[in-house]
Amino acid sequence: MSLKNESKEDLDTKMIILGPASGVSSSELVQKIHMLKLPLTIKSTCYGAMVHGEPDVVKKAVEEARNMDEFNIFIKDRGFPPGDPRRCRGHRGAAREGFHQLEKEFKLLGYVGEALANPKEVSLEEPQKIPVNEFHEIAKSMDLNDEIDE
Amino acid sequence: MKIAMFPPNSLILEDLIERSGHEPLSLQNQIKQKVIDPEIDSPPFNMTEEDPIKGLKYAAIEVPSGVRGRMSLFGPLIDVAEAAIIMDESPFGFGCIGCARSNELSVFYLRKKGIPTLELKYPTNQDETRDVVNKITTFLKQLGGA
Repeated sequence: MSLKNESKEDLDTKMIILGPASGVSSSELVQKIHMLKLPLTIKSTCYGAMVHGEPDVVKKAVEEARNMDEFNIFIKDRGFPPGDPRRCRGHRGAAREGFHQLEKEFKLLGYVGEALANPKEVSLEEPQKIPVNEFHEIAKSMDLNDEIDE
Repeated sequence: MKIAMFPPNSLILEDLIERSGHEPLSLQNQIKQKVIDPEIDSPPFNMTEEDPIKGLKYAAIEVPSGVRGRMSLFGPLIDVAEAAIIMDESPFGFGCIGCARSNELSVFYLRKKGIPTLELKYPTNQDETRDVVNKITTFLKQLGGA
């Protein structure tokens, strides 16, 4: 597969983000993706790695990467290709804009991974406050009537 | 199913939607079309005067062109959405989502569309995060059709 004939618009870029509880390092992740020998542009980054290439190849690489630590590796799309001078930190001289959001959400990724590892079916309905009369009935049934009246 | 999310560039929401086998409608894919176009008119983002005009489908002419320009990016995502997850009180507003009025308008359109919608508050601690993740996974499971 050659990237030469592909239009740039047909190519996907995905960020592979390692959660704080991940047992995989950035270099291990990049090495693993390199070992897949897929026609991809791979960039090692401070948060994990970035892969750029044809959508089906990127999908395969991302799936393989996720399998390394299912609950602590997170995937996000990226609009700009890797090393784009309009976004690259090296050219801008400061963190790129998207990094601030990534940094903010990164703080919760440990909890997200933990919740994913221990899934639980929950009700989607918000708990409602019970009517006063109903509360009074419950209190009565528990012999707390005197305390309520006070 | 195509799931719209708000904020439309959220890592947590996009990852959870993708894990469940659905298709997240992320803002980055809209931006991609703007930045990789070989005929870039107005670098670096290629937002042209055509975009606020496209935004007229979603916002009136009196609305500032910034809102209309943003809506030309968010709007097509809302149009194709089959379900939505809205996370209120997100503390971030960077890049193209850093406009309160565009955000309000996007959420309004998502609610108005009448599609299955899950509304949550952005979690701030472990318990809230666990609850939010469980609610999102339950919601996505109930949607089915992945």
